[in-house]
Amino acid sequence: MSRNASAWLHAVFDSPSDARDALEELAQEGLTFRDIEVRSSIPLEGVHPPDLQLHSRVPLMAVLGGIVGGICAFMLTSLTSQAYPMETGGMPIVPLPTTGVITFEGIAIGAILTTVATVLYECGLPRFRTKSGPLDHYLSTGQIVVAACIGDGESPEWVSKAIATERQDADQEDRTSSS
Amino acid sequence: MTGDRSREEPLFRPLTAWRPKLILGSLFTGAVAALLFYSWGYQIRNDIGVAGINRPVFWGFYITNFVFWIGISHAGTLISAILRVTSAEWRRPVTRCAEAITVFALLVGGLFPLIHLGRPWLFWFMIPLPNHRGLWPNFRSPLVWDITAIGTYLIGSILYLLLPLLPDLAILRDRHTADNPDSARARIYRFIALGWRGTAQQWHSLESGIRALAVIIIPVAVSVHTIVSWDFSMTLQPMWHSTIFGPYFVVGAIYSGIAVLMVAMYLLRRGMGLESYLNDKVFNNLGLLFLAFTLIWGYFTFAEHLTVWYGNEPSEMAVFTERISGKYARIFWAMVLLNVAVPVLVLSFPRGRKPWLTAIVGVGVLIGMWIERFIIVVGTLSLPRLDFTVGSYQPTWVELGILVGSFGCFALLYLVFVQIAPIVSIWEVREGDHHLNQVHSATEHPVLETT
Repeated sequence: MSRNASAWLHAVFDSPSDARDALEELAQEGLTFRDIEVRSSIPLEGVHPPDLQLHSRVPLMAVLGGIVGGICAFMLTSLTSQAYPMETGGMPIVPLPTTGVITFEGIAIGAILTTVATVLYECGLPRFRTKSGPLDHYLSTGQIVVAACIGDGESPEWVSKAIATERQDADQEDRTSSS
Repeated sequence: MTGDRSREEPLFRPLTAWRPKLILGSLFTGAVAALLFYSWGYQIRNDIGVAGINRPVFWGFYITNFVFWIGISHAGTLISAILRVTSAEWRRPVTRCAEAITVFALLVGGLFPLIHLGRPWLFWFMIPLPNHRGLWPNFRSPLVWDITAIGTYLIGSILYLLLPLLPDLAILRDRHTADNPDSARARIYRFIALGWRGTAQQWHSLESGIRALAVIIIPVAVSVHTIVSWDFSMTLQPMWHSTIFGPYFVVGAIYSGIAVLMVAMYLLRRGMGLESYLNDKVFNNLGLLFLAFTLIWGYFTFAEHLTVWYGNEPSEMAVFTERISGKYARIFWAMVLLNVAVPVLVLSFPRGRKPWLTAIVGVGVLIGMWIERFIIVVGTLSLPRLDFTVGSYQPTWVELGILVGSFGCFALLYLVFVQIAPIVSIWEVREGDHHLNQVHSATEHPVLETT
């Protein structure tokens, strides 16, 4: 279902199972993961739109970052030694084994920095201009907020119904945003 | 899964309004920290001669403090990472307190090489900038390894503290924004939360990142104190040139790290009313870990001294004898008492692992570990292999002021942090509660099958 994201309907859930059921209802109504956002104050297993495939390249990027960091550190130690204008008859000023420590630290710092950079990239952070949702304060008390996108000019009733099926006395608010 | 408001209230209290107790504590520790900067300023103005270090004891209090504080830094990141990697559930309230200790202990410890330099504005000579200034960075020197390893550990520890902090900062942002969106606190938290939303994808990436960092940071932490030990053991000085110095220092570092964690947790529990988080079970479990490290450290110390005694090499025996029955005997045996006898006697029994007792033992171990560093540094340097360079060391008020001030500095940084971020990871504790609820509900409603 293709829709112009101009309005979102937000609902709050106390339990992950209620939120999961609502997400299934929404999926049955044809909403894809692009039209739904689930937010919580803790990581919840399985509480996301059914068609959303969670992925992370953090482990791979950490390994790559470590390799790059290690190569850079090794080059720093070995090439510096060679570049220094001292006649040593071709012998290195820094013997190879002593480059190991700096190379190890280079591997570590490379892996650490790429890990953090990848996490920030995958999370889309920093995002300073994001405005708070109408129900965000519920997140601070540990509840789950599910937001569903409703099309421009489309009646939100069917989405509302899907969410309300799982939460009869739901604390719901309509919000028209210019997102 | 709603967060338990009454339980969480003590965590939010210092983050929502100014607390007189914390302000007074900050002022007091700030005054103590000022002692460090006053003494250091005095030394910069009058030159390094105002310190007691002189030939042959070139390394005195400053390097002792450096090794001590870098050891303390192993409290956090290493312990937290090990507990995370092993999925120890009871770690949840502990990790943040521990990670903060690491960062602040590293910051304080990192000051000491600068203080020891005498001319701190030349510190950048230690940074391996290739061929800059016509100088050649000596990559064979453990001192260059030191700055590289400590730099890596500091950056890693800061990021390891900040990354899991993001969701909690977002909780604070939402809380303050709901109360008053235009308040200064709401604006600050909106900025430092970086726009964290808590979507499923964000959680997935964050958890992958934390796991990866935990795995990476463990060998880095081990390397840091190994390299600090190599500052000593790569020389031929008596009782320094030892193959077990690396692991011995790492064990000592973790040991002193657990000690400071015990003390910090006890003070937080009492001062902030965190009994429901830092409960007796946490102290009991950490107390057992503490006991294990007491025994490991005791074993290493015994092995180190037995080997020297058995070898009977004259220069080593001179240092050994000074420790056992000479000038340093009193503090050596005080160290054995504080680091081995008392912890074993107290922590071996469940009653001894009560919070206040573990904190007292922790204070004792901290004193004992500082003495250990002092004996290693000064004991050997005052008795080098060449007899004509034998000398002694007497610290001056400048060095004592800097030592006392460093504790103030550390406590001040910690107190400021407590007023900015939750000292117990809210989301991790909530996640733990959620898992517990799931287990309970599964037990209440067992799945029955008939075949």
